[in-house]
Amino acid sequence: METSLEHVHELEPHIKVARARAGVLMLILSDALAALAILAAGGYLRTLNTEGQYKVAGDFAPAYLPGLLIAIALVLSGLAYYWWERRASKPGGAGQTPFFLLALVLMLVAGVSETWIGASLRYGMPIQAYESVQLLLPWFTAVHLLLAVFIGLLLGGRILRGRLAGHEFIVEVVGYWWYYTVVASVLLWLFGVYLT
Amino acid sequence: MTEAGEVKRPGLINALFPSVVSGIVLGVIGAVVAGVIVNAATKGLNQDATVAAAYTGWTLFFFVGIGAFNGVLKWGFARREATPAEELQLAGKGQGIWRYFRYTTDHKVVGMQYLATVFVLFFVGSMGAFMIRLEQSTPGAIFFTPSTYNTIVGMHGILMIATTIIMVSGPFGNFILPIMIGARDMAFPRLNALSYWLLFAAIPVFLSMLALGGFQTGWTGYAPLAVQGLTPGMDAYCFLILIFAVSTTLAAMNILTTVIVMRTKGMTWGRLPVFVWGVVLSVILSLTAFPSFIVSQIMVLMDRIFQTSFFIAAYGGNNWLYEHLFWFMGHPEVYVISLPAMAVAAEVAAVFTRKAVFGYRFLVSGLVGISVLSVIVWGHHLYLSGSENALVAPFMLDTELISIPTGIFFLVLIGMFWRGKIWVTVPLLFVGGMLVNFVIGGISGIYLADLPTDEILHGGMFVVAHFHFVIPGSMVFGFFAGLYYWFPKMVGRRLDSTLGRLHFWLFEIGFLGTFTALFQAGLQGEPRWSANIAPPFATANLIASLFAILIAASVFVFIYNVIYTLVRGERAVANEWGGKTLEWTVPTPVPLENFEELPVVTSLPYDYGSPLPEPVTPAADIASAVIEAPIQPQGEV
Repeated sequence: METSLEHVHELEPHIKVARARAGVLMLILSDALAALAILAAGGYLRTLNTEGQYKVAGDFAPAYLPGLLIAIALVLSGLAYYWWERRASKPGGAGQTPFFLLALVLMLVAGVSETWIGASLRYGMPIQAYESVQLLLPWFTAVHLLLAVFIGLLLGGRILRGRLAGHEFIVEVVGYWWYYTVVASVLLWLFGVYLT
Repeated sequence: MTEAGEVKRPGLINALFPSVVSGIVLGVIGAVVAGVIVNAATKGLNQDATVAAAYTGWTLFFFVGIGAFNGVLKWGFARREATPAEELQLAGKGQGIWRYFRYTTDHKVVGMQYLATVFVLFFVGSMGAFMIRLEQSTPGAIFFTPSTYNTIVGMHGILMIATTIIMVSGPFGNFILPIMIGARDMAFPRLNALSYWLLFAAIPVFLSMLALGGFQTGWTGYAPLAVQGLTPGMDAYCFLILIFAVSTTLAAMNILTTVIVMRTKGMTWGRLPVFVWGVVLSVILSLTAFPSFIVSQIMVLMDRIFQTSFFIAAYGGNNWLYEHLFWFMGHPEVYVISLPAMAVAAEVAAVFTRKAVFGYRFLVSGLVGISVLSVIVWGHHLYLSGSENALVAPFMLDTELISIPTGIFFLVLIGMFWRGKIWVTVPLLFVGGMLVNFVIGGISGIYLADLPTDEILHGGMFVVAHFHFVIPGSMVFGFFAGLYYWFPKMVGRRLDSTLGRLHFWLFEIGFLGTFTALFQAGLQGEPRWSANIAPPFATANLIASLFAILIAASVFVFIYNVIYTLVRGERAVANEWGGKTLEWTVPTPVPLENFEELPVVTSLPYDYGSPLPEPVTPAADIASAVIEAPIQPQGEV
């Protein structure tokens, strides 16, 4: 199949913005449905309490305080991102980079801490259904937080290279994922607390 | 518009790295290294963890090797944006046939990659089907142990389901759909390449199942059997599903964004070709339904590797959890397959009856109705699993309601044939076959939707015959209708019409004979999942196996036709069938960015009472090709 065309047509700016928004929102929709499936599964197992074995004596959940601190760090990360985004997403706006760095560092701390929580849960095997759900929640959250960190690093690279000018919409759509990650992670943590 | 400048011609090293060759090399190294590390860390005591690590290593390093991360890292850390020349290079400019083996972003290349992959997967899957029919041709074991037979049935099932999910949205959704809406490419070209190569990366995982002892659960992967199965072939199944589901989700996001954002001027939602509607609704269902399936497979893997108990009743888990998570995907998935194929049928019927789509809005509403209803009917798969009685009636009602919008589809198609100038081409033959088989599949489905009859027929060969009439009998026929219709545009050559007709008749007669006989076996009480058939069912099974020979013959006729066409087939003209949709207004072969100037749409593309469309690309040969396009090419008369 021969394909010959000697030039490349650039997309109009408003189409670039619209496709970025649509793409990220669909990613969020799909991921939110996965999170919802986990919540539904946890609630379903709890309600069924099959053979009275859903939760037995000795079953335990991750410690409350580290989870609370991570939730606080995530909310602060979201607020810091919002503070930075308010100016950075406007045409020609540079934003206050320290707020972005703060958001990124808090997200990184939360991601590493969540990974630590998941790795330090020493459940005896076989793991009961209740503990199975409690094990899944931090790992699912950790993957999301670390993904947000990776996206943040890419965005940070563009800031350092001065490549945000003319692409301010990137700040906005990364924000969608950032806020979603914060909200979803806090909800999953609250669900874990509720199960306790 | 930016001048691209000179596109550098790559040397051998640049051609191989990155490409599928470097992807496979690095992927294998990654798999071995990850497997060895985890095996050492677990002291060889956790085979499932070792296998899971190997698959993770394979997938990640395959993508490093094929260059999937290059664009991402450059997006974040490069000093400048990609130049037009680099974009053209990535789109496959000047790379000849090798662009099909690289991380190429051009939507037409991705479409062709999907098409070739669908051919291979269908061939492998159909060979599995013949092994099944061979084994079941007489009572008693012939070739396989029950365990091997179960693995073949499971592999045939999951392979065919996966292939039918992508068979229309993959090749035609990528190649044809962007042109149909007047776009120059998909919304996210790199994501498009990623979704294809994820599918490719899943194939070695699929094939490794055999080496890892297979899996005994069948295509549904039901837990807790999936957890209790001792062979690591089950881990391969879980990984296959995860990779495939991510691939499908990314493709769905991309297609949906493309249609939402990239439509040309005047291409309003009310003027979208029916095919686009079918694909859009299908990918919306994918986005909605697949997350629960992904979660179910993560849980199965956790149960196998970390000994969690999501599905083990003794420790508080439950098999119903798997059934709900699975069927919440499993039933909409039938419509993920069906909607694009049904839309292809409507598209093809309009062209070959030379009539506007009868009741366009009625048809689109019907497709929307099917989509909405399909996500609330999964419970009918759990009638006999001991689920709450109060749920039976609502699920029964929902399921039967789907027959209303499906009936609208039939009415619309019949409306197009009514007093149409019917031009009996190979694509139209497949549409006819689809209608016949779909009626049988649909009506037999009503018996399975009703609890009283389902109690008798559930778990038997009747179910097997029913879903074969619905999926291969109807939707694969729809795929072939689309294939014969768009093949000239995609490949630039016309499939041989006589061989196409032979393909159709062998397939249709073989299909009706095979699965009608299996209806009889089901009514006699033959259960599914039985490696050795009992003597009372011998006659029906022998008839089914004999008719399956015709299906096998049709497969080989089709393969011969494709090879013959690629080597010696007649060259196609730009508008092979006198179609009105936009893909027929661009040259064949289609240029890299499809349109020199984007077209402006002013009406629905089905006004067959008016003259042929004006070409939107001003190249002289294209203009003549459109004008000279025969209404009935000689080969079809």
